[in-house]
Amino acid sequence: MSEETLEPQQWVERYADMMYRFALVRVKDAEAAEELVQATFFAGLKSQHTFAGKSSEKTWLFGILKHKTMDYFRNSKKNISLDLNSEEADRIHFDSAGHMDPKPVNWNMDPERAAENNQLSQVLAACLQGLPEKSHKLFVLKEIEGMASDEICKEFNIKPTNLWVILHRARNQLKLCMESNWLNTK
Amino acid sequence: MFEGMMKALKMTCQDVYPLISESQDHPLPFCSRIRLKMHLAICGLCGIYNKQLDIICRIARSLGKDEAKILEDTHMNPETKEKIKKWIADKS
Repeated sequence: MSEETLEPQQWVERYADMMYRFALVRVKDAEAAEELVQATFFAGLKSQHTFAGKSSEKTWLFGILKHKTMDYFRNSKKNISLDLNSEEADRIHFDSAGHMDPKPVNWNMDPERAAENNQLSQVLAACLQGLPEKSHKLFVLKEIEGMASDEICKEFNIKPTNLWVILHRARNQLKLCMESNWLNTK
Repeated sequence: MFEGMMKALKMTCQDVYPLISESQDHPLPFCSRIRLKMHLAICGLCGIYNKQLDIICRIARSLGKDEAKILEDTHMNPETKEKIKKWIADKS
């Protein structure tokens, strides 16, 4: 089997869009996503000599991009405090009898098949951009990257209860956003 | 036991909904799990909320794996691409 080689002149054509999409679902804005792609290509070019040819060019570049994305999260504010009156406040309300107000709407779908719905996935990707910065970061690490809660708490010096409260509020905000942006256009 | 059941039956959605979200993160302690199950058995609205959060978590997980498919119409700014291409050509 022939060893893989690097062809930097082809990187942009081959991978720029793919890498941009990867970054875009993880960071909060398009500019930051572009910067991550650029930084990955630059780092790749600088460390070409470390490429052993055992993985594909694509896998190697995506490995660098994953590192760059984690660095991006690490370099944003280290300590995540929880301000109960902040913009991350829970947006779900209840009536005097303790029922959700407004009532949750039945989305009429099987959760196990939800991920097959591209339109719904795009709405979630758009709603994610509306989350406040720290909720966005923690939600991405936990749900999109699948990082363990204790690892996130250690990395960002955050108490498990605070992580849980922020995730809970982020999910509620996403739920409300999806209801207003997707279900209303169905 | 009976007292515990009565307590669980008296719980409102407001008392229960944080447990629904928490159950997405990690298995709940035994008592909380039973309280949640009992409430879900009698409350359709919390059942809907539970399903909504499940859907959100499942889609989020797939976003991390299938972003190329989900965002297939999204492209990087052509000007930025050209800039990077030139930079790579200069450095190679």
